[in-house]
Amino acid sequence: MNTTVTIVQLYPDELGVAGDRGNVMALRARLEHAGLTVSVVEHHIGNELPTDVDLVVVGNGPLSAMRNVYDDLVSLGDRLRAYRAADVPVFAYGSGAELLGRSITLLDGSTLDGLGILPFRATRIPERSVGYVIVDTPFGQVVGFEDNASRWSLDSKAKPLGILEAGTGNSEGAVEGVLDGTSIGTQVGGPVLPLNPLLTDAIIASIAARRGFDYAPAQTNADLDRFAARAREVIAANAKHVFSRI
Amino acid sequence: MSKPTGRGKPSGLKYFVPVVLGKTVRAFAKLRGGGSAFPGYVTTKLAPGFLEDVTGQFEYGIVYVLGSNGKSTTTHMLTEVLRGHGLRVFTNPSGANLPQGIASSILAESSVLGRLDADIGVLEVDEAFALEFAATVPPSTVLVLNTQVDQLYRFYETERVADMMLDTAQQARQHIVTNREDPYLSKIARRYPDGDATTAPDISYFGASAELIAGAPHGLFNAKDYRDAAIEPEHHDALAELVATDRAGATIDVAGATIDVTLPAKGLHYAIDAAAALATAAVILGDRFDAASSAAAFAAMKPAYGRGELLDFGNEQVEFVMFKNAASLQLNLDALPEPPEQVLLAIDEGTPDISWIYDIDFAALDHVDVVTGAKAWQIALRLEHEGIAIGAVEPDLKKAIELMRALPKPSTGLKTWIVNYEIMMLARKQIGFLELENQR
Repeated sequence: MNTTVTIVQLYPDELGVAGDRGNVMALRARLEHAGLTVSVVEHHIGNELPTDVDLVVVGNGPLSAMRNVYDDLVSLGDRLRAYRAADVPVFAYGSGAELLGRSITLLDGSTLDGLGILPFRATRIPERSVGYVIVDTPFGQVVGFEDNASRWSLDSKAKPLGILEAGTGNSEGAVEGVLDGTSIGTQVGGPVLPLNPLLTDAIIASIAARRGFDYAPAQTNADLDRFAARAREVIAANAKHVFSRI
Repeated sequence: MSKPTGRGKPSGLKYFVPVVLGKTVRAFAKLRGGGSAFPGYVTTKLAPGFLEDVTGQFEYGIVYVLGSNGKSTTTHMLTEVLRGHGLRVFTNPSGANLPQGIASSILAESSVLGRLDADIGVLEVDEAFALEFAATVPPSTVLVLNTQVDQLYRFYETERVADMMLDTAQQARQHIVTNREDPYLSKIARRYPDGDATTAPDISYFGASAELIAGAPHGLFNAKDYRDAAIEPEHHDALAELVATDRAGATIDVAGATIDVTLPAKGLHYAIDAAAALATAAVILGDRFDAASSAAAFAAMKPAYGRGELLDFGNEQVEFVMFKNAASLQLNLDALPEPPEQVLLAIDEGTPDISWIYDIDFAALDHVDVVTGAKAWQIALRLEHEGIAIGAVEPDLKKAIELMRALPKPSTGLKTWIVNYEIMMLARKQIGFLELENQR
């Protein structure tokens, strides 16, 4: 049986300054090792979105890039909400996640409305968090690098992606990210999926459950898993490291 | 910032005590085996007008060289081209580009009466400190090279860096020289109501022909200007245009003359830096600018510290390819004429956030022999996603260098070490090249 998994990556140029293609690469590698065919649809401004997709991925970009894609993103609102209604998972990192949230309050006090697909509000703050981050999630320990100046306030009933072990996370409540059904919003970069095969496998498991195929991580992931494990060890050991800035 | 006090008489006895003190501190710092920004701090604290007075004596003023990448290389090129025209040039050692470091290097070369025998100063200045420094040492000319995505953990947003550089450029009293191919920088004339027709400073551009850029695997890697409706560069005529490159050099049209230059290191980025240096030399020198003298200066030029340098390694040589960010790594990879026979790839915590390595196209490498540095496992993970064969992962640099030494001598005799700045410094020291960048 040859099953094709379709991943849409929104605005890979504008919202892709932090190795966001790496998240898609990690998904693709593990899916292909498991014998699945992967189709990645890069969505650029002005394109149409396909009706049937298995995962929506969006990454991080500067405020100017967020404004640049904003009108196009708003025009996709109905389609993206239809995906969510059909339980298509979303994996969103950084400012891309914020655009899918309820709103973004900027430093000058003005507000940018989000699409309301993820249950949180973002507020840009003067203090910047830079460094390694460790999060205890339902899928296991997730590590990565955070670099943001945002506070994420979750809706009262919304769940975080996990509990902070090190780093700053949402800058509110010692938690990191948001977990809404099978959808994830996070500020853990690195990029996070190559570094955390267990999180990548959890996302693939959600896709598999929705599509009704079996997924088991392949033996051919061995080198990826070994390198990720060693990288994670070093990150965990250095997580208390404070980085100097200007 | 204190107000400069030294107007009128350009130098004199009032600087004797501060300069002697600063030089004494410097002598002690050197004895302890380090370069230091502290001597400059001492002198400028005691005599706030010192820097402006010393540099104010230069007939051709001060040139700032700014940019996300290529500052050291271009400063070096411009310095040598100006020297090739007979000018006495003061320049800061590459890497010493923060205000106190620049102050220390000015102090080191000035007399106790506050005189420095030079016709012009060429200074590479860190983007984040340039505007502030311009209040102390006003530039006559500002050369801005490029805006590339760089150190977001430090600069937050690329447009912020672009504005730091554009704001500084506007402090130039005579000339602005900038990159026609850069989406942010090419729009600097918009900051002047008359579009630069009549006011000082004048604005000149350097650039590369459209064919050359289109032929490069990843172009020039300049950041897109997402805050403007036109995210691409604005077109201008270029005073210096890069029209051809080959393995050894480049052909650059400067104000009607065609100049063939040899380049101290390979790559389109070095070639466009050469165009930047020539455009700047041309606006500064005016009628004195001479194509033959410029070409001769390039022919005699050595690579800037760690940028394409060849260092002896037993009976072999190491070619250092140094990068600081995504743009410099990609452009250096694009400049490799073929996949290198033996490769070491290294990044340590000096580059805190390396998420961008997933945005790099590593197709220029067919394998990597040794991956090293504190981030070695993260690099290996990235390469594995690309299916690039890895010989060994050895986070310890010393051991990694021994692994490279143990490999058979390559047919070219050349081992290619692709390293971030901090590893470059450590690796040089490790193989017996002890001088620090700012001590050269």
